[in-house]
This record gives sequence, C-alpha cells and structure tokens, in this order.
Amino acid sequence: MRLLSIYAVLAYAFLHLPLLVLTVFSFNHSRFTQWEGLSLRWYTQAFADPALREATLNSLLIGGAATALATALGTLCAYALWKKKSPLFAGALYLSLMTPEIVTGVALLAFYQWLFHLLDLQLGMFTVILAHVSFCLAYVVIVVIARLRTMDATLEEAALDLGANELQAFYKVTLPQLLPAIISAALLAFTISFDDFVITSLVAGVDSETLPMVMYATARRGVSPVLNAVSTVIVLGLGGLILLSERLQTK
Amino acid sequence: MHRRTFFFGGLAGLAGCRRSSQPRLNVYNWSNYIGPNTVAEFERQTGIRVRYGIFESSDELLAKALTGNCGWDVVFPTNHHVAPLRDYNLLAPLDHSRLPNLQNLASDFRAPEWDPQLQHSVPYMSTSAGIVYDRRQLGTLSRWADLWEAKVEGRMTMLDAQDDVLGACLVKLGHSWNSTAESELRAAQREAIRQKPLLRAYLNAEVRDQVVAGDVLAAQMWTTTMLPVMASAPQLDFVYPAEGFVRYAESAVVLRESPRQEAAHRFINFLLQPEIAAACVAAEKTGPVLAGVRELLPSELRDHPLLFPAPQDLARGVWLRTMPPSAQRLRDRLWTEIKSA
Amino acid sequence: MKRLRLAFLAPSALLLATLFLAPLVIVAVYSLESRGAYGGVTPPFTLESYSRILDPLYLKILWRSFWVAGVSTLLCLLLGFPLALFISRSGPRRGLYLQLVMLPFWTSFLIRTYAWMFLLRDTGLINTALLATGLISEPLPLLYNDFAVILGLVYGFLPFMVLPLYTTLEKLDPALLEAAADLGAPPWPALARVTLPLCRPGILAGSILVFIPCLGAYLTPDLMGGGKSIMIGTLVQNQFTTSRDWPFGAALSFSLMALTLGLLYIVSKRSRGEDLL
Repeated sequence: MRLLSIYAVLAYAFLHLPLLVLTVFSFNHSRFTQWEGLSLRWYTQAFADPALREATLNSLLIGGAATALATALGTLCAYALWKKKSPLFAGALYLSLMTPEIVTGVALLAFYQWLFHLLDLQLGMFTVILAHVSFCLAYVVIVVIARLRTMDATLEEAALDLGANELQAFYKVTLPQLLPAIISAALLAFTISFDDFVITSLVAGVDSETLPMVMYATARRGVSPVLNAVSTVIVLGLGGLILLSERLQTK
Repeated sequence: MHRRTFFFGGLAGLAGCRRSSQPRLNVYNWSNYIGPNTVAEFERQTGIRVRYGIFESSDELLAKALTGNCGWDVVFPTNHHVAPLRDYNLLAPLDHSRLPNLQNLASDFRAPEWDPQLQHSVPYMSTSAGIVYDRRQLGTLSRWADLWEAKVEGRMTMLDAQDDVLGACLVKLGHSWNSTAESELRAAQREAIRQKPLLRAYLNAEVRDQVVAGDVLAAQMWTTTMLPVMASAPQLDFVYPAEGFVRYAESAVVLRESPRQEAAHRFINFLLQPEIAAACVAAEKTGPVLAGVRELLPSELRDHPLLFPAPQDLARGVWLRTMPPSAQRLRDRLWTEIKSA
Repeated sequence: MKRLRLAFLAPSALLLATLFLAPLVIVAVYSLESRGAYGGVTPPFTLESYSRILDPLYLKILWRSFWVAGVSTLLCLLLGFPLALFISRSGPRRGLYLQLVMLPFWTSFLIRTYAWMFLLRDTGLINTALLATGLISEPLPLLYNDFAVILGLVYGFLPFMVLPLYTTLEKLDPALLEAAADLGAPPWPALARVTLPLCRPGILAGSILVFIPCLGAYLTPDLMGGGKSIMIGTLVQNQFTTSRDWPFGAALSFSLMALTLGLLYIVSKRSRGEDLL
C-alpha cells in the first residue's frame, strides 16, 4: 500500500502539472509564458467580458442538463442490457462512440436542419443539449455496465423472492450498489460535455455559444492568459463545490 | 435539486431561442475582430440589439452555412470563401443604395478580384502572411528560400495550412501562389518535403509564444497574430518575402436566409466609417480597407509596416483565390502526402 | 421483467435512433454521392470515395493511427490501474480522490494542451529545470514528435481508463485479498491471480473508452506532434473543413468505424464469453 501511495502522488502530480502551470500563468503580468510578476489583470479582463460570462453559464447549463439526462437514461439502459443482452443495441452504442466527432456534428446538423425546415424551429440551447446527451450516453452505459458485470445477481433474486416487485428490487437493491459507477459515469459525462468543441460548434445556435467555442475562437488568434484565468476560476469553483458536497455527505 | 434547476434553465433557453420581439441582429465574426465599443455604439445609434458571436475558422462557417439556416445575419468569411457561398446561393445581394459609405473604401478594395462589383460582399479588414524571425540570431532574412537554409534547422515552423505551405513553395519556385497546374503543384510538394527535415513543426498562432521566447527562430506567420507582440520583442523582425506573399481580406456578407436584411445593411454601412474602422484597427491590429483610416490611428500604428506594408512590398502580394474543385483535390492529396512523408 | 426492461431501454433507444442513427444515415448517403464543388454533395451516386481509401497513402495513415491509439491505450492501462487501485482502497476519501482525477479536465482541452506545450518545449519548465541541474547540456526534444503525441493522448484519456477501472475495483471485496494473504499469498501474485481477473470488465471498458477516442483524435497530433504527421482523425476533420470533400470524409469515417467494430468483435470473441456489452 505504501508503494501504491507513492505512485498515486506521482500520478496526481502528472495529472495536475498542466493545471498548476496554467494557474501560475493566469497570475502572470506578461501576456507570454515568461514570468513578469504577479498581476490580476487577466482576472479583471475575464470578469469584465460579458461574452465569456455568458458562454461559461451556457456551458455549465448544457453540461449539467446533458449529464443529468445521459446518466439517468444510460443507467437504465445499462441495467436493461445487463439483464438481457442486445447485440443490436450494443452495436449502436459502440458505433456512437466510434463516429468521429466532425461526422457526428455534420450529421446532426444536417438532420436538425432538415427537421427544423418542417417544424420551423432554430438551432439553440436544446439542440446542443440533445446532441450532448446522445454522445455521452455510450460512455455512461459502458461505465455502469462494467460495474454491473461484477455484481452478484443473487441479491436481486433474493429481494424478488422476499416479495419485492422488479422495480422495487432495482430501486432498493441494485441502484444503491451502482452508486459509485453512476457517480463515475456522471463525472465522465460532464467532463466530456463541458469540453466538447467540434460537435457543439456545429449544432449551436445564435444564443448558445459555449465556453470551448469562445476558447477555440480566441486561441485561433493567439492564446491569451484570460483563458487561463477563466479555467482557474472554473476549476476552483467546481472543485470547491465538490469539496463542499463531500463535507456535507460525510456529515 | 440540481437536476431541477438545470431542467428549468434548459426550458428557459428553449423559450429564448424563439423569442424575437425586439429588433436584433446576429453577427458572426472572428474572435476580437472589432473595436471594444463598436457594437455598443451601433446599438446606441440604431436601437438594434446585436448578438455578436465568434467562429473559429472560415471553414467552420462555410460548413455550417452549407447545411441551411444557422440563424446568423451578417457573417465575415475570408475572401476566398465568398465565391463558394455565392455559388451555393447562400448570400443576399447587397443593396448599394443602403450602403452610402461604400465610397469610403480605399481604391484597392473598390473592385476586389473576388467580387468586382461588390455584389455580395464588402471588404472589412485585410491581413497577410510572411516570415517572422529573430534578427539577432539569423541576420536578415528576405526570402522564402531562407527557410530552406541549414541555419534555421530545427528552429523554424511553417503554418499548419495547406494553402500557405504550398503557396510559399510555389512562389519560391517562381510559380503563382494560386497555381492550379499539376506539374507546378507537384514540384511545390517536393519542395515542401525537402524542407521537412529542417522543420520543427507545422503550427499556427500557437507558435507565437515560442517565437517570442526564442525556441523558434523563424516562422511563417500572419501579420495580425504577430503585430500585437512585436513591440515587446525587439529581436523580432517581420518580412514580406521577396518571391511574393499572400493577402487575405475578411469580407462582410449578408446571408440570404436572414430575415433582417435592413438591419444587416445598416450594420455593414456603420462599419464603413473611417472613425469606426480606425477603432477596430487600433484594437485588433489588422489592416484597414477604408481610405482615411491611417490618419486617425495612433502614431505607433500609423506607419507600422505590418499594418501598412511599403508600396514596393505590397506590389508582391497576391490575394488568396478559391481553388477550382480539381485543383483543390490535388492540393488536398499533396498536402496529405507532405504530412505523411 | 420484459416490460420493465423495455421501459428502461425505450428512452435510450428513441434517443439513439433519432439523434444518432437517423443522422448517420444522412452521412451514409453522403459517402455514396459525389463531391460538391465547394463542399456538400451532388448527385451521381458512386463508390469512388470508398475505393480511394485503398490507396497506400491512406492505409498507411490508418495503420499509424491504430498503432498510436494502441500504444496509448496500453500505457493508460499500465498507468491507470495502480491509480484506480489506490483510489478504490482509500476508504471514505474515495470520492474525493476520484474527483481529483477529473479536476484538471474541467479546463479546456486546448488550454491543457498549451500548458503541456509550455512544459515540454526547449525553453519550457522541464528542459529549463534539467539544464539548471546540469543533467543535460542541450534541451531534450520533448515536443513535436511521437513521444509528445502519445503523452498528450495518455494524459487526455487517462481518466477514461481510471473511472471504469475504479468502478470495478471498488466492488472487489478486500476480504478476498486478505484471505489470499492469510493463505500466504504475497501481495503481487494475489493481485495477478485475484484482482486482475475480477476486474476484467473494467479493463475492457476502460480500454475501449480510451482506444476509440484516441483513434479519432485530431488536435493532439496536430499540436503536440506539430502537425508533422497525420492521423486518421485529422484526415477526416480536414475533409469536412479545408478540403471540403464530404463524401470522402464520410467514407473514411465509415471505413474506420467498420474496422473498429470488427476489432471489437474479435476482442469480444477472444475474451471467453466476457461480452463487451
């Protein structure tokens, strides 16, 4: 276990090194990656930018909604597939994982446009959320089903023998055991959704610009430390939320 | 609790995308390609609310516009994308009677080769690409051919864009930047492959930091990307290569699907005022297309060679052209071969 | 049971059918049409886009992509397994440690990649530190090569390996290992004999979640690899943007998907009844 702990420290260092770098540079006075002294100018700029603020809110909203939906649907789907295999369904899920992003994006865009032509709708927040749910679904199912595979089916059978109906057995027996997998899946889904650029930029409408869209567009003309500042604020904000919820849970 | 908030938030967003009571205009442009107060000033003068969105590349814009209604009214493609958009019937014809400020265009931009009558597009800003390099380490560079010299080995980058790399190779060989001839393009491809061992990487704006820090001594780069940092990096120099270089013009167009043609014209006409353009140029360090802008700029920009190349330099510049499909296909193929070599 | 199962599957099925399969059919049709002059597609139906893929140029790119994705997946597994093991054995802190894995990934991919470029370049943190300590006299070429591409992919997709591994490891009964220890099994063989086989589903799931996105990656090879070589993800991306050859882009991605699906099928046959889904 000690060896493992040492390894874990190294692994976390590897994972957090870039985070550290961008945090440090977000406080750098210079526009470049040369240290010129502490400054909050990038934070001032970031907070003064309404487009960045709006894009961040949009991203959080889209990420939250897509995560909630994809996790709920994906968990149910994983359970059903665990009960009885469906090669067709599994194939479709894997296919959704394998489709290059640009193809998913172009396909969805063409589909939306065709549909909207009939329905007189426009691209917007909901088109992005639906797109995100559809590409997060496979990730959720795969993570949850991996956990189900290690589970003992007899527990649920026992519950059924004791008079629970199937829904109760799922809800009271299986679901609690799935919780770690559901949390993992939700984390994964949120991360993927929050960071997606290619598909989002294609299916986004006029009022649904997301943070990655702003970041890619800005970086196109030379990266600015403002983006580091935004990233730092988000990581600290979400990290703080997690710590808080962790505290509340353990109490 | 969270889930509920998100859900209602989502519904609000859904409702928002169908609301269109106030007069508004949706403008889609490159990031930071406008003065800090330009949009606010337009809103104040006209009462039209502007939604100013930014795109990552003109290619993305084209792909999006091709599939149908994307909701934007005024967009800013690069000049070589004007013809494809027009040929696919995606652009609204411009009504010149609503654009009196067209008279402010500099003579270079009154009849541009991609749209001589300005039927569908109005130039907005112009840029070019050349070589940025470290004069202290490399001495003076003046030609693309210098990027094939041993002294830049491992410390030189080219743009990660096929038009730019093939174009530089073409003019180095004495051909046209926009060549469509197979033999010339193949020769250019061999030239690019010959250069590859000297190359550190194919990079776009990402390389700027490394040029300033001194990792990279010479880079093919856009003027707009370099200009804001030239003052703080005195070792750097920018050259418009002797063999020729490429120019781009970002152009304002109105999408045919736009239900707000009137407001779109007003916005374009608004941008065609020298004071407004000067504010955009000063903020974004991109070349103006209007006459009378230069005089309005702060002194350090008024004579900056990256904004206003000397006439003898400018004479070597050619506008990037739209490639006919067959040449485009050959170029794609050659570019893939260069990358896999 | 049947009714419940159908009710559980129905929403996902509806979602997949409308938002994934139906759009995919559109692109499938694209792949059979001809290239529009400046993008999009035009009528004559043809198989030309598919036959073009058999060109050695593209086959080489495909092969390279599979190779890079494979190496990255293997490294993710090697690096991710001990981390997942550590997290699963951390008692009440598990949740926190897990979220610490994800934390860096809530910044933008682009910003993280720029941070890596700063770390790895000649005047970057790592080379500066090594030069200062006198361990090296010339900066190491850490950026713009295959090493950098694989590092970028491993970094980017490590969480995709750790999460499913953790979810299966977490389930393992520590009593099992204790029992093995009581029976005199030293910890390493116990790991190999007891833990590894029991978390096979997690290994499989993680490997798939890493391998497939690695295969389609396009920005990491461009930025970390300095665009000096091309992977299939970039090739596909180019067809829909700069090259404006949608049929070829569509045909390329369908071929890629067919190959990957075939590979998955073989793996699932080989994995002794351990179906992937």
